[in-house]
Amino acid sequence: MSKTTGRNIGKIIVIIMLLIGAVYAGFPVVWMFLCSFKPNTEIFAYPPTFISDTFSLNAYRSILTNSEKIRFFLNSYFVSSVVTILTLFVSVLSAYSFSRFEFKLKKTLNMLIISVQAVPPITLLIPYFGLIVALKLYNTYWALIFTYMVFTLPYAIIMMTGYFNTLPKELDEAVMIDGGSRLLALWKVLIPISIPGMISVGMYTFMQAWNEYLFALTLTKTIEMRTVPIGIQQLMGQHSYEWNEMMAMSILGCLPVLLLFLFFQRYFIEGMTAGSVKS
Amino acid sequence: MKKNLLSVLLSIVLLASFLTVPVFAEDPITLEFSQWWEPELPQGAFRQLIDQFEEQNPGIKVELLSGPYSSTKEQIVAGAATGTMSDVVGLDGAWVNDFVKQGAITDLSALMKEAGYDESQLASQIQLNGSTYMIPVVNFASLLFVNNDLLSGAGIEKIPSTRTEFFEAAKAITNAEKNISGWILPISLETPNGIQNDVMPWAWASGKSMMKDGKPDLLNADVKSAVEYVKSLYDAGVIAPGAFNMKEQDKVEEFTNGRVGMMFDTLAHINLIRERNPELNFSVAAAPAEDSYTGERGITYASWGIGIAENSEHKAEAWKLVEFLMSQDINAKLATIANAFPGNANAAPDLSKSDPLFSDAFKVYQAGHPANEFVGLPVAEDLMRSFDEEFQLMLDGDQTVDEMLANAQAAWEKEF
Amino acid sequence: MTLKSRPGSLGKRLTPYLYLSPTMVLMIILMLVPIVIVIGYSFYDNVIMNKHPVFIGIKNYAEILTDKNFHQTIYNTAFFTISSVVFHMIIGLTFSMLLNSKLLHQTTRSIFRVIYVLPWVFTAAIIAILWRLMLNPNGIVNYFLNIFGTIDSKVEWLGSRDTALYAVTFINIWSGYPFYMVSLLAGLQGISIDLYEAAEVDGANSVQKFLYITIPQLKPIIVSMAMLDCIWTMQQFSLIWMTTGGGPIRATEMLSTYTYKLAFSKYEFSQASSSAVIILIFSMLLAFIYVRKQKARD
Repeated sequence: MSKTTGRNIGKIIVIIMLLIGAVYAGFPVVWMFLCSFKPNTEIFAYPPTFISDTFSLNAYRSILTNSEKIRFFLNSYFVSSVVTILTLFVSVLSAYSFSRFEFKLKKTLNMLIISVQAVPPITLLIPYFGLIVALKLYNTYWALIFTYMVFTLPYAIIMMTGYFNTLPKELDEAVMIDGGSRLLALWKVLIPISIPGMISVGMYTFMQAWNEYLFALTLTKTIEMRTVPIGIQQLMGQHSYEWNEMMAMSILGCLPVLLLFLFFQRYFIEGMTAGSVKS
Repeated sequence: MKKNLLSVLLSIVLLASFLTVPVFAEDPITLEFSQWWEPELPQGAFRQLIDQFEEQNPGIKVELLSGPYSSTKEQIVAGAATGTMSDVVGLDGAWVNDFVKQGAITDLSALMKEAGYDESQLASQIQLNGSTYMIPVVNFASLLFVNNDLLSGAGIEKIPSTRTEFFEAAKAITNAEKNISGWILPISLETPNGIQNDVMPWAWASGKSMMKDGKPDLLNADVKSAVEYVKSLYDAGVIAPGAFNMKEQDKVEEFTNGRVGMMFDTLAHINLIRERNPELNFSVAAAPAEDSYTGERGITYASWGIGIAENSEHKAEAWKLVEFLMSQDINAKLATIANAFPGNANAAPDLSKSDPLFSDAFKVYQAGHPANEFVGLPVAEDLMRSFDEEFQLMLDGDQTVDEMLANAQAAWEKEF
Repeated sequence: MTLKSRPGSLGKRLTPYLYLSPTMVLMIILMLVPIVIVIGYSFYDNVIMNKHPVFIGIKNYAEILTDKNFHQTIYNTAFFTISSVVFHMIIGLTFSMLLNSKLLHQTTRSIFRVIYVLPWVFTAAIIAILWRLMLNPNGIVNYFLNIFGTIDSKVEWLGSRDTALYAVTFINIWSGYPFYMVSLLAGLQGISIDLYEAAEVDGANSVQKFLYITIPQLKPIIVSMAMLDCIWTMQQFSLIWMTTGGGPIRATEMLSTYTYKLAFSKYEFSQASSSAVIILIFSMLLAFIYVRKQKARD
């Protein structure tokens, strides 16, 4: 068997496996997408319909023509983006410290950072809310931004520490010997190499902030401050749900996120070449 | 660098606190009114009513804060605990007792007296220890909805009005091959109000009670016969599949899709069903009673209630808003747009433009008496939930009706 | 502005803390303070509902630990957490390997990457709604199973005691694997190609390369993620609450739903706090083991 045939067989197997996986991963979302075009009753039809006879864009129309709902999207994007940037910035500094220094409280702080995220948010809700009110942050973007930073920092720090640990210390020491500062070494050497890691951490942070409901609801009160998850929950009424609108709202919400991912994932490949520099 | 970071952080905090310092309005008082009603009503309709209030009361502004219904309760508890609760709040009868215990809502009797309000115009008030804490603004009656085509297709001419008739009709309608069930019972534990809306009405309809002298009385013969009856329906296989995980919002979709012959449901759904399936041919009637029962029917209801925060600084103004919403004309208007019945005893809903089924329903409602024993009970939702768990165990065959009721009674007694 | 460590020993000792300071400020004010308050709550008879709470020591803990429903809860949570973490890892690793395959064109990979990350971009409420619809007795899943003749009756996936826990776990696995996948994908990029090339020279096949290069190289990431995932899954609330509410008959009752019901259904905030502290202790144990392990590795 020649090498090319082997490669071709391997390629076919990989593609088949990928297609099977894609059904598992994607079918529910495709179903959601299809449902967003159906009238509400048809969503419950049995046997189920796939492309509705009464295909309509009404659900999308009623979201996109409602300025309150557009505002939900803008709020979500704003808060999630700010949280992502700040979390990356703060976590890189902390990770650098954990990865490049030996100090007394290292283990303790490390353990503390991991375990503080272990209290179920629902029980923290009331004391946390009291704190936000006392800090005069109630019903502000900062309430949400700080909250999500606190939620996402532990993972971000642990992961960034992990990535930095895989990079040899000689790399940054080389810069420092040339007269550069630690920060310069961090900025010029460690960060560029860690871009794949930063992107995956950034993705995580963005998704956490994007999807959070309970604190978004409690820490804001006016309609101008609400985010998309609250908008979705508001479609779940006391007596009935607007199924198709909920679906449409999630689809609309995820599109920009997916585009961002599509754009950033090329760094996974660029990161590969950067990673091989180190050896 | 550290200095920089810290100062950035500090200035962020400072900036944020400046941005949030409340703007002190000189003259007009702003009342916050948090509720879940606004999104339930036609767009802009509730705001219009409130605008009318602001016109009549220059100097008072009302800010409507609307949240998702499912989280309203948590929001009120958290708001009361941190002193950020709105001045006026929308309430459900099942929450009142707990909010009173928490000291979240204020005694309305005192406010009414202060304002010299004539209480006789209120159809009902929710009282605890002799004081009113919630006033039902509008009431949603729950009746028996029947799919006429399925009923007549099964050879049943008359809408069932007794348990026996109902059982026979449900059996005749059920057709597993065609995927059609006689009755539907949503008893998901996430929102256990199926116990209130779909199970207890079997006792309430015949004027029976699950309470005695303000204490739980689940072991009485009437509750037992109601539960046994539901069990017999379950065993006969006439209940739509998925009951244990079904919610009210799923129930109405099953009925709208014509897969269910009969259901207990709130009148708020009439327009929804019409809109979602204009072809569906259905009627409403009183919930079936015991075969021998001839008295007035108990009609299960739920309310949009209203209360005032204990920590409100503008209680007198807040009361004005309540008074406005309860006034004859406004209350009738609100009831009409909400497809509900008014909380003002003298107000009559304008049924002229409504679905003809509403006039039928109003007649049934007036001929009967409103019944909902969960209103005002302590931890009412938890009572429904513990009952529900035992009820599911019983339906699933793990315990007998007697054991189930004994367990539920024991769980309930702990709360009183 | 220079942070270059000066020879002065104090400056040198403080440097790592300077880098950590923003994190510490946030964590202490916004996380530690509320946690301490919650721990405090757990020793009172009831807070929030009571104007004058009474200190009762560890009575709340005793009550919870002897509650027979609590034991069922522990079992459910353990099953849910362990299955979720294991399958997240397997699926995440498989998918990331497939998506990293050099056999594929870059565009193909990009497209599949986007498809595979889909479950991650939705809020818990909508995932719950979507799966409730699909697993409804009259839903699409039963429809397909009917067509392919696997079953002929209406399975109540979320409404039956026999299947509900598996169904909820399945949903959680579906919604959680992309997080692993993305992190591992990033991790795979960090593995030097030279390692593989050297192994090829030594005549290693792909299975050997996977076992002796890929896995050991990814191990730090996998271990960190598994530990964090354990902690997160243990307190997963919204998804369970909105699909089953802990039912039917406590079949899917987890520590998180149990705690929620104590707080917002029974209004026993002190007991809920105790239950939360129990979860915290579990997690600290995990975190402790993890940090110790890390030390050993260093």
